[in-house]
Amino acid sequence: MTNQGPYLKDNVVRSFKYTPLTFLPLTLFEQFQRAANLYFLLTVVMQCVPVISSIPWYTNTIPLLVVLSTRGLKDLANDVVRRRSDSQINSRPCDVLLSQSFSTVQWKDLCVGDVLRIHKDQIIPADLLLLCSSEPQSLCYVETADIDGEINLKYRQALAATHAKLTSEPTDETLAAFDGIALCEEPNNRLYTFRGELRWQGQHLSLNNKHVLLRGTVLRNTDTAYGMAIYTGTDCKILRNGGKLRVKMTRIEKLLNNVVIGIVLSLLAVALLLAVGSGVFGSSVSPHNEVLSAQLVDGNPLYTAFLNFWSYVILLSPAMPMVLYITFEVLHLLHSLFIGWDIEMYWAQTDSPAQARSTSLNEELGQVRVRPMDLSWNPFASGGLPLSAPMLVERLRGQKCPITTQFFTALALCHTVMAEWKEGEWFYQATSPDEEALVGAARELGWVFLSRTRDSVTVCELGVTRQYQLLALLDFSSNRRRMSVLVREPEGGLKLFCKGADIVVLERLQRNCPYQESTERALECFAHACLRTLCVAVRSVPEASWEQWSKTLTVSVTMRTYDRDNLLEELYDDMERDLQLLGVTAIEDRLQEGVPETISMLRQAGLKIWVLTGDKKETAVNIGYSCKLLDPDTRLLEGQELRLAAEFDRTPEWGAKFMGLTRHCQSVLCCRVTPGQKADIVTLVRKHTRSVTMAIGDGANDVNMIKTAHIGVGLAGVEGSQAVQNADFSLAQFRFLQQLLFVHGRWSYRRIAIFLRYFLYKTCGFALVHIWFGFFNGFSAQSLYENWFIALYTTFYTAFPVQCLALFEQDVSSESSLKWPGLYKVGQHEELLNPRVLSATFLYIVYTSLVLFFIPYGVFYNSALDYQTMAVTVATAAMLCANLEIILITRYWTKLSIAAVCVSVVLFFICTRITHIPLLFQMSPTDYRFPGVSDKAFIDPVVWLTALLTAWTAALPSVTIFTLNIILTNANKHRVHSTSRQPMELRSKFIRGSSLHHSSYTLSQRREIGQPIMSGTSIRHTVPFVAERSCEGLNVLCHDFSSASSGSSLPRSSTPYRFAKLATGLRYEQQGALCNSVGWMPERVVVARFPVIDQRKSSQQNKEHVQTYHPPLPSVRETQTPGSGSLSESNDDNDSLPAGLRHLCKKI
Amino acid sequence: MMASSYSAKEEDGHHSGAPGHGGNGGVKSKKPDNTAFKQQRLPAWQPILTAGTVLPAFFVIGLLFIPIGIGLYVTSNNIKEFEIDYTGVETTSPCYNCAQNFSWNSTALCSCSVPFTLEQPFESNVFMYYGLSNFYQNHRRYVKSRDDSQLNGDKSSLKNPSKECEPYRTSDGLPIAPCGAIANSLFNDTLDLYYIDSNDTKTPIPLVKKGIAWWTDKHVKFRNPSGSSNNLTAAFQGTAKPVNWRKAVYELDPSDSDNNGFINEDFIVWMRTAALPTFRKLYRIIQKKPNMAPTLPSGKYVLEVTYNYPVRSFEGRKRVILSTISWMGGKNPFLGIAYITVGSVCFFLGVVLLIIHHKYDNRNNNADIPN
Repeated sequence: MTNQGPYLKDNVVRSFKYTPLTFLPLTLFEQFQRAANLYFLLTVVMQCVPVISSIPWYTNTIPLLVVLSTRGLKDLANDVVRRRSDSQINSRPCDVLLSQSFSTVQWKDLCVGDVLRIHKDQIIPADLLLLCSSEPQSLCYVETADIDGEINLKYRQALAATHAKLTSEPTDETLAAFDGIALCEEPNNRLYTFRGELRWQGQHLSLNNKHVLLRGTVLRNTDTAYGMAIYTGTDCKILRNGGKLRVKMTRIEKLLNNVVIGIVLSLLAVALLLAVGSGVFGSSVSPHNEVLSAQLVDGNPLYTAFLNFWSYVILLSPAMPMVLYITFEVLHLLHSLFIGWDIEMYWAQTDSPAQARSTSLNEELGQVRVRPMDLSWNPFASGGLPLSAPMLVERLRGQKCPITTQFFTALALCHTVMAEWKEGEWFYQATSPDEEALVGAARELGWVFLSRTRDSVTVCELGVTRQYQLLALLDFSSNRRRMSVLVREPEGGLKLFCKGADIVVLERLQRNCPYQESTERALECFAHACLRTLCVAVRSVPEASWEQWSKTLTVSVTMRTYDRDNLLEELYDDMERDLQLLGVTAIEDRLQEGVPETISMLRQAGLKIWVLTGDKKETAVNIGYSCKLLDPDTRLLEGQELRLAAEFDRTPEWGAKFMGLTRHCQSVLCCRVTPGQKADIVTLVRKHTRSVTMAIGDGANDVNMIKTAHIGVGLAGVEGSQAVQNADFSLAQFRFLQQLLFVHGRWSYRRIAIFLRYFLYKTCGFALVHIWFGFFNGFSAQSLYENWFIALYTTFYTAFPVQCLALFEQDVSSESSLKWPGLYKVGQHEELLNPRVLSATFLYIVYTSLVLFFIPYGVFYNSALDYQTMAVTVATAAMLCANLEIILITRYWTKLSIAAVCVSVVLFFICTRITHIPLLFQMSPTDYRFPGVSDKAFIDPVVWLTALLTAWTAALPSVTIFTLNIILTNANKHRVHSTSRQPMELRSKFIRGSSLHHSSYTLSQRREIGQPIMSGTSIRHTVPFVAERSCEGLNVLCHDFSSASSGSSLPRSSTPYRFAKLATGLRYEQQGALCNSVGWMPERVVVARFPVIDQRKSSQQNKEHVQTYHPPLPSVRETQTPGSGSLSESNDDNDSLPAGLRHLCKKI
Repeated sequence: MMASSYSAKEEDGHHSGAPGHGGNGGVKSKKPDNTAFKQQRLPAWQPILTAGTVLPAFFVIGLLFIPIGIGLYVTSNNIKEFEIDYTGVETTSPCYNCAQNFSWNSTALCSCSVPFTLEQPFESNVFMYYGLSNFYQNHRRYVKSRDDSQLNGDKSSLKNPSKECEPYRTSDGLPIAPCGAIANSLFNDTLDLYYIDSNDTKTPIPLVKKGIAWWTDKHVKFRNPSGSSNNLTAAFQGTAKPVNWRKAVYELDPSDSDNNGFINEDFIVWMRTAALPTFRKLYRIIQKKPNMAPTLPSGKYVLEVTYNYPVRSFEGRKRVILSTISWMGGKNPFLGIAYITVGSVCFFLGVVLLIIHHKYDNRNNNADIPN
């Protein structure tokens, strides 16, 4: 056992922040780190200084307390939730070796050095050193979805020494006798590296990452594993890693913050100017006036001016009320509740309503312009295997056709699926849903895959259990596009079963293979039906050739150079020849309901759609067509953009050029993208455009992207809950996106934008009056309002209508929002809240404050009416003006909104009367200075006439613009309707390819899975990325291009069209322009759609474009080795851009 | 007419409920409630506003404001007002001498008589105001410089005035009553009005000095200490008079105990500070005569001023205003003009918008025809 030192952490997780003692200081500390709160605190503090206090302390203190306590309570509630989840995690059970036998303890009781027993599907409670496992050679498989979001299994293997000594029975005793000392590095956050040493029985064994089971991973496909805890609690790598949560902020919020800073700065500037005025007044006017000169503080005008500066800062502070922030947050919260409450987004099958996990991003939903998404739809997303054909099974039993039998045997053997017996049923775990589907299909038809070991596969064939010896697994790679298994049948024969993309398999068939013609017909037929096809073939391998082949294989596997991969490929190629065709499989990739409609709506709304998928290009293009992302009129631009994400960090100009290219496209399709690259692309988009990006995905591999985008949407799909947990919004169905964006997003944006505009208007308009009043009171920071009015104005007299507006406002109903997606563009173009609108608002604010002051000024000038009457008059006018404005803005009058306006106005009169009650004055003369004023003012016709005239004049520009809008929009309505009625249905009327079949063999992108399965070759690859040559489609393409450029017999005008057809088996109605380039990264294809308008405009150009386009294409068809550069040698252009990108850029 | 649609989107009941999830007791469904509020389908009135409904508002408001403005203007013009500037800036002014050699501290009284002629008789009650210009009675430190508790008769404040009153809080160690700058600068000119009839006889015109303050001020806000005014001198024992005052607060009107001390109406009126630097305050009321004779017949008058209040240092002006009043108070031409202006602007805007509307409508119709 290792040493137990006092410095070692226990295994308790404490993610909560507060204890009863520290809550108050901590929460205050946190809150005052926000600049706004600090500003408000300063104004409150200043108000308590009698010399400068222009309004009493309670006007700002009460709102500040409300803000602080609301936030504090919210944090506290979150903390309680965290505490609960902590205690739940800490009390999870696990098996620990305590004196000779295992007993169950809670997670929190673990210590470093404990030996643990982990069962299948258990979560690993601490970072463990794997000692041994129930599997051969102490292998064990872990799922790391919770750590890095990858759902494929990874294997870990114990040291040979511990495996050998500890797995002898009985395990408990041998484990109890284990007395090794593990030396580990300091706890750190590096998930993928570990260095250590195990000292045991006089041996010094070095440890690395492969020997460690990390906390948070899940043990899979392994019965039990034994490990020794090396890091516990907060020392665990995953806990060292966590904690950095990027807080997403909406654009409006950022704009608001800037506006707040701007307002505060300009208020300070105005206060400074007024203070200068006060200094001038103090030094030029006051000395002559005995009455006023006595009022100079210490008789010093400069000092008085200094104090007046602060007085003005306080007096003008209501222009920037903190109620704004708290209202803003409450509105966000309510808007997200509305999303959860929407029955239109409730999915009954899984009983899941939509959920806004982040409450502060709603209005951003109304501004999305770019939307990367993952389209790797699970083929059986809409139901289980639709395969239950007893008739078919009967016929298969009856007929003993060897080809049919072998076909299903091949399906049951040739895969990398893991089988598991659970609850009386076989569960298959596969990295590719296609594989799972095929193995499942074989099972349904009587060929049940039972289990696999490293060197055997057990299959039950129509009731007969047979064990095949697994000799070699020729793994899938994206450029081989096939995989094979070499097995020894129980009868002793050697068979190679191969399945792969049709084009690859077909060219490896032996000559005169029977059924080839009918197979090709079937392939064509399947391709028409939008199915993903694979060919299955077999080869009987002679014993002699196997022996020689395996020898060569052993040699090449041990080679350490990077040539090894090429050698292996060649070897594999040798083996996979002279195949005999067994049959064809076809898998339907069923899209979720409503996907095409949703996508076509998103496109109508002007969203740029980026599809980032790990699939192959063909699949992606195919899905693109079936979900109406692409349509037959789409002009496709393809480029194999290489080293995309990896290089954009280093060479930003590439990123800029790439973005410049995509700016002209409406949709972008990126294939073969890894999760990390997905995030990189999102970052790229965010960096180079000002657009709001929204990422949507359902799998754990989309987590990165979801976290990086402005808005992340997770689909609660079959691929696990990772995406949902990291998303800002979660939906049950893709089509609910319509509702989320076009209804909730649009409304939210509108409501928040109008709310902010109005809020600034009403607070600034009412506070700026003091500037003008300053000119007539010697810049003495005299308030024009009663203190109570200032305190109640923002909270009582004007708050309710705007809150109703921000909750209920609908310019058009949800049905119309969905009917006319074009309406969504308002948010994308920031039409409701942008610097221009804001400056107009500020002009209007200044106008309003001028009117609010100068009309009463004209009336009260040289009159017998006193200051307090004027205060009430201006207050009435300001209140009326604010409510008049909201009446003009509101379009959707619910009973509540009507009530809110009425209540506000009535409250003003009631509260004013109450605060003017003489009794209150007698109780506290300093707080209620206006006894009896409203009694007298509200019966004075002059006060009323002045207030009404002022309010109306202040609102006049608003009324005029309102009317102008009505006149102009009524005229425009026709246009809006007629454009949106244009047929937007995009029908895919293309005929699927004739000469080539659409196929996509989407096995795992990584080879890792296959390897430990293979006996003898369970050495991990040293090169993480495999050299991948261009796919066959582009090879064909290049070939044709070269023939075209050399003036082949093909007529010029039709060539581009044919190339495209050849390349992907799809028919493009427009000329496709294609180019390629090759590198060591997985290929990516950019398929860009050009807006229809562009085409019309540049149809002339297009022709030209096509004609001049052929020659510069490099003809590339070479095998690329890692690190040997990406550009083809035949390309003499030294431009640093990849060829594909360069050509595309040139054209655009 | 205001076209409107009352879109009562009723809840669509239960028929849209999820299949298989309706009413199962065991597991609580997460299905959101189908209520109008949660589905954002609250019945609402969405006025369909068209140019036809909005444009008339401009004309209506315009046509409403212009007559109001004319009415106000006419009313204001019908008010008779006579203003006498007696500051004494010009050498020809009768009060020139008084204004020249005067300061707060001079003890000698200076009087001057300002003759004037009313061309027209003043009917009904006539209000006599004094007006000051360039006097910042709304300066914050000035406005603050008072102690409302003291003025309300609070005994402890009487002896220990609020700090706001500085530097007019104490005088020679004694608390000042009433303290503060406002009280200290009390307007203390005495104005008397005489009618000079055809045979040059000076007839004093009776000036009523009560009823010029607000009721709440007189009865709630201002109260003499100890409540009773029987022995004011005793009540104010131990306090000093404001620095600039010639007599103590309990000597403001010894003849009328109801108008003495803090509840002296001249004092109360002064303490109700003005909104702007140029203002007027009610000084006296000239009651109309019981018979049909005008309150102030046309003819010659003389204003006798006891010149105490210095304004020349800050280029202030002192005026006396005689004015009849109407339902809208004193003369106020501004309001009428403002109403007429805003009304005309509305009307004008209405016309402009109407033209725009017509142009757009035509163009739009023309554009629509080919479609």
